[in-house]
Amino acid sequence: MVGIVIVSHSAKVAEGIRELAQQMAKPEQKIIAAGGMADGSIGTDAMRVSEAIEEAMTEAGVVVMVDLGSAVLSTDTALEILDESLRARVRIADAPILEGTIGAVVEASVGSSLEQVLATAEGAREMRKCL
Amino acid sequence: MTEIQLVLTNPTGLHARPASQFVQTASKFKSKVKILSGGKQVDAKSILGVMTMGLRSGAAFTVTADGEDEAECLAALAALVESKFGEG
Amino acid sequence: MSSFTVAALEAVADRIIQHKELLTSLDAAIGDADHGINMARGFEAVRVKIRAAAPETDISGLLKMTGMTLISTVGGASGPLYGTAFMRAAAAAQGKETLDQEAIAQIWSAALQGIKDRGKASRGEKTMLDAMEPAYEAFVEAAKAEKSLVESLEVACEAAKEGIEFTKTIIATKGRASYLGERSLGHQDPGATSSYLMLAALTEFFHNQQLGA
Repeated sequence: MVGIVIVSHSAKVAEGIRELAQQMAKPEQKIIAAGGMADGSIGTDAMRVSEAIEEAMTEAGVVVMVDLGSAVLSTDTALEILDESLRARVRIADAPILEGTIGAVVEASVGSSLEQVLATAEGAREMRKCL
Repeated sequence: MTEIQLVLTNPTGLHARPASQFVQTASKFKSKVKILSGGKQVDAKSILGVMTMGLRSGAAFTVTADGEDEAECLAALAALVESKFGEG
Repeated sequence: MSSFTVAALEAVADRIIQHKELLTSLDAAIGDADHGINMARGFEAVRVKIRAAAPETDISGLLKMTGMTLISTVGGASGPLYGTAFMRAAAAAQGKETLDQEAIAQIWSAALQGIKDRGKASRGEKTMLDAMEPAYEAFVEAAKAEKSLVESLEVACEAAKEGIEFTKTIIATKGRASYLGERSLGHQDPGATSSYLMLAALTEFFHNQQLGA
């Protein structure tokens, strides 16, 4: 089952999205929040992201959900410091973080492949709310 | 292909956790499963599709299944909806 | 060599920490007013780390320590950017025992490439590259013309300063400042400024070392 990592500038945002997504997840599913800095400040920490990816890693891989700006740079940096054998099984989703995470978690819960989970997360870009 | 009509009686409708349970249940079967409502149709195995349908409590909708296990699939989905997704 | 490298990195850290207010006020004009705070927090952590480093830590090890500390403590975009620069610098410094002109050029080139890769940026987009790349080129040119290390660094500093001036004349297309479009005109880039400050600190450090020698 593909693991999910949530990277936000805020620890509370990452944890909150994880809490919400957990509602739809299978009990054994790995959803790891990597928000904020170690000292509690707002920001992203590539070390923390890298550790979260390792923690979320499964045979099927990991999809990383990111919020804004430097979250992407920190995740790219996290990949650079990650073991090369793991790096190939990680994808960064270009998607809205909340809707994308929920889509990715449900897609992963039915045992879909890394590319399918990524496609569902990114499909959340098109999701309409007010019909 | 088989089709059934269902009515949502759980309080939240086909959103969030119920939507994911619906998708997870549909995904257990080999059949192609679709939800039809208000002239729209979506793949019942796609969480984003199901969520964009925006089916609320009280809404009636059609589910179609096409494949070798279509009967079992529809029975499972009907049971899920009738159980109110465990929402009580 | 370890204590020399520690002292050089400390000079860089001190300079950034001293200019926390300047960097923050520059960033307030076109960004989110956190560049100085973020960079100072990162380099304060770097200072603690490198001072506590084992005496046998080599140049590469110290640069790596600096990069790893920056990526986990700066927080904003400059964390992964400068962090990657120092980590790539560390890779290029592997096995090097002295910081001569040739070694510095190689390390600098790797750091520059790291920033380009990480930021998917190039010169002329109102970023740190607008100071750092012309400075690197001036350094390499000066070294080719057989100028001394300190002279080459001084030439590089001048080029970086011109680079900062150049950032006032262009519109940001990368990072938060790009949201401002034409309103970013007239403001110097905070990242280009912090790059210059680091270079200026290193130049002064090598200058003082030469005087002391």
